[in-house]
Amino acid sequence: MSPKVVPWAVVAATLLGAVWFAAAMTIGGDRSALLIGETTDAHHQLEIACETCHTAPAFASAARAEKALNRTCRKCHDEELKAADDSHPRKKFRNPRMAAYWKKLDARLCTSCHVEHRPEIARVGAVTVAMDFCVACHSEGDQDVRWDRPSHADLTFDTCASAGCHNYHDNRALYEDFLVEHAGGPALAPSPVHALTARHRARESPAEAALARSDAVAPAAAVADPAALDHWAGSGHAAAGVNCAACHAADLAKDAPPAEIEIHWIDAPPAEVCEGCHKPQAKTFALGRHGMRGHPRLAKPRDPGRALKKVGLGGVVPESITAWLADPPLPARITAGEARLPMRPDAAHRVSDCGTCHRPHAVDTARAAVEACASCHDDSHTRAYFASPHYRLRETELAGRAPPGTGVSCATCHMPPTVRRRKVTTNHNQNDNLRPNEKMVRTVCLDCHGLGFSLDSLADAVLVSRNFSGTPAVHVESIEWALRRAESGERDTDG
Amino acid sequence: MPMLTFTEEILLLLGDEEGMFLPVEEHAFECALAGAVLMDLAFAYRIDTDPEALLTIDPTPTGNPMLDRVLEKIAARAGTTDTRTWVGVLSREDAAILREQALASLVERGILEKRDERFLWAFGTVRYPTIDDGAERAIGARIEEVLSDDIPHPRDVALISLVDACEILPDLFPDRDVASFGPRIALLRRMDLIGREVAGTIAEIQRTVVREARARAARFQKLLLILSACGGLAVAATLLSPPIPLADRFGPGLLESLWYDRVWKQWSGYLLLGLGIAGLGIAVAVKKRLVARIAGSHGWRLFHIALGIACVLVLFAHTGFRFGANMNTALMGFFVAALLSGALAGAAIGGTPRLRKMGVRRTGRHNRALIGLHAIAICPLPALLIVHVLTVYLY
Repeated sequence: MSPKVVPWAVVAATLLGAVWFAAAMTIGGDRSALLIGETTDAHHQLEIACETCHTAPAFASAARAEKALNRTCRKCHDEELKAADDSHPRKKFRNPRMAAYWKKLDARLCTSCHVEHRPEIARVGAVTVAMDFCVACHSEGDQDVRWDRPSHADLTFDTCASAGCHNYHDNRALYEDFLVEHAGGPALAPSPVHALTARHRARESPAEAALARSDAVAPAAAVADPAALDHWAGSGHAAAGVNCAACHAADLAKDAPPAEIEIHWIDAPPAEVCEGCHKPQAKTFALGRHGMRGHPRLAKPRDPGRALKKVGLGGVVPESITAWLADPPLPARITAGEARLPMRPDAAHRVSDCGTCHRPHAVDTARAAVEACASCHDDSHTRAYFASPHYRLRETELAGRAPPGTGVSCATCHMPPTVRRRKVTTNHNQNDNLRPNEKMVRTVCLDCHGLGFSLDSLADAVLVSRNFSGTPAVHVESIEWALRRAESGERDTDG
Repeated sequence: MPMLTFTEEILLLLGDEEGMFLPVEEHAFECALAGAVLMDLAFAYRIDTDPEALLTIDPTPTGNPMLDRVLEKIAARAGTTDTRTWVGVLSREDAAILREQALASLVERGILEKRDERFLWAFGTVRYPTIDDGAERAIGARIEEVLSDDIPHPRDVALISLVDACEILPDLFPDRDVASFGPRIALLRRMDLIGREVAGTIAEIQRTVVREARARAARFQKLLLILSACGGLAVAATLLSPPIPLADRFGPGLLESLWYDRVWKQWSGYLLLGLGIAGLGIAVAVKKRLVARIAGSHGWRLFHIALGIACVLVLFAHTGFRFGANMNTALMGFFVAALLSGALAGAAIGGTPRLRKMGVRRTGRHNRALIGLHAIAICPLPALLIVHVLTVYLY
């Protein structure tokens, strides 16, 4: 190539690139190269579905764009904040009397503290302001926490959220009344049982509905695999009267004849088939990290034809180019290889869907509660589990030497059963009970441990990484302080 | 055909085989042109000099438009300024016109051919390849004879002085030990070979041209070197130093505001864009000789480098020297490459005399390569900036 051509080639190539990216931004196409920075762990799975968060129209004013962005945050997170009895709800700060605080830290906007695509300033909990942010409002005036709390006089504001005492949003297990009420609990209850797990395990299918191995209705080729048949016969599905066709020919009526089943048979039923029967589980699964690519609020790929029409090019651009401008579809599920947490290298290809944890025929919930997790996750907390007292308790329970609910699996803490309409189901949104880790206190820890021991354990990062093998080396003083304040009569009666 | 003027002869000597000009420092080149035209006027018995003043002794036009224009200018202010001042004035104000006039004359005489070649439209390069090398060879032969032990012609002595001022002897005689010519050149300067009437004038012009050229060269190159080194060090800091951490204390901080406040970012972004456009505009204007008549090209070149340094500072304010991700990394990469290559080119040009003293030859080729790299690094910036600005306003 002639040296004189080089600058022209560079200019032409980059201008072509610019046109391509301008088209990708305004009409359709892959925009991953335009990401200005790594997204947080919470959102990286959906980062190429830009319109999920960026809902403002093109060239909207900065204020409008920010409002739209915050509206999207609330659409997805409002429900969980409500459930967490958010200590700093937006409505509190919309009051004009709070205007003085808006300039310090505008708590009406999620983006005041959580800015995406800024990995260099993202801290724990995707917070992008300095962790002593409480100082903005609680260091002066009637909101000064040191004013009526002598215990807080010498504390610095960077310890508010890092010492196991407070969270900005979720303080369900940390508020003063709760601390006082649960003060003095033993490190370990005399008969430690996780009540909801015990209730969940105790469910039984009606014996009359149960199917035996010989009841399986499937094409000859399918039943030729004895292992699959054995697994099914010993599974909850068989116990609940769920025959092969219910999954492999899900569109058919329950009593469809074998010939018709053979015609409609599919060897590997998709996750949607599971979701057809397990709606609550599927719903919560899509809210957590494992299934968030199926979240109902994710933006659908843009329609390039519509976008072209909008700019007056409808019908002008050939179909082939229009198709070329289509957004790349977001993969239906994340793989372990895409995850940000440490994962086993041999699991990189593994797709996070129902069948990955619940073997399709065995539907083994015990395996799904521990071994399935450890087959992908490869961090110190997971590895240490198998040497922990929680694991030993689980082994004892599985061996039948202890009652249901006495063992502690990964799912016990991270996907605990929940009660909805008097029905116990497993919450498949692992995030619901994960961070900040004090979220687990009420739903799990307190069933077996006292509040003080729980808070100390959860605040001890080393103990967490050892999966609670040992005793906490950290002590959270909040219970003592709350008791002292209650005894001195300084505490407000409404807590 | 009339005899070639000194201005034309020196231009012929400065042209290389490709029709480009030898890498003569511009200040020396301009001073040589100014000296050449004064010598032409002296040999034509139109001006005389003494240590205090340069005087017009005969204002009658010579018939050569190039000389007559300068003569008219000198006549208008004769007696009020000395030779050194006139060399300075003519080199600053008239060098570009003298050069164009002399080249046009050489084209008209059929010695050179004008070829206008474009580089990315704005960066036009005009070449003057030789189509009749007879005159050029004759001048070269004259110089070679003078540098040997032959008795020189007064015009050749004057020409040697100009060649010496331009420091192009190493380029004219690449195979010879040029240092060995030093005593001979010094002797020629002392010889009273020029007619009595003009001897003093030519000698004064020679001294002034050499002195002025070297003084201006030293000033300009020193400044160029210092500014370029500052720019280069600042860019190196962006590449080598770890990202500056933000204070982990809540509250308004200057760096936080600069790097993360939308309004500040917008201001610094547009300022950076403005500085970039200004720098590019100056480069184009200097290259196309649009601004040389306003303040001379040295000032503009130094200003171009100063804009580069300002770009580094504003880039720090805009990005904190973080390269970002994806498209932003590419934009930052090319921006830093443009700044670094520009600083290196400036430092190389500024450091040319030192490099030559150290025995480095063909510095011009290296300088041109660095300027080429600078231009290549700038090429993708407009497109990347368009995408960058679009991402900001669309998302």
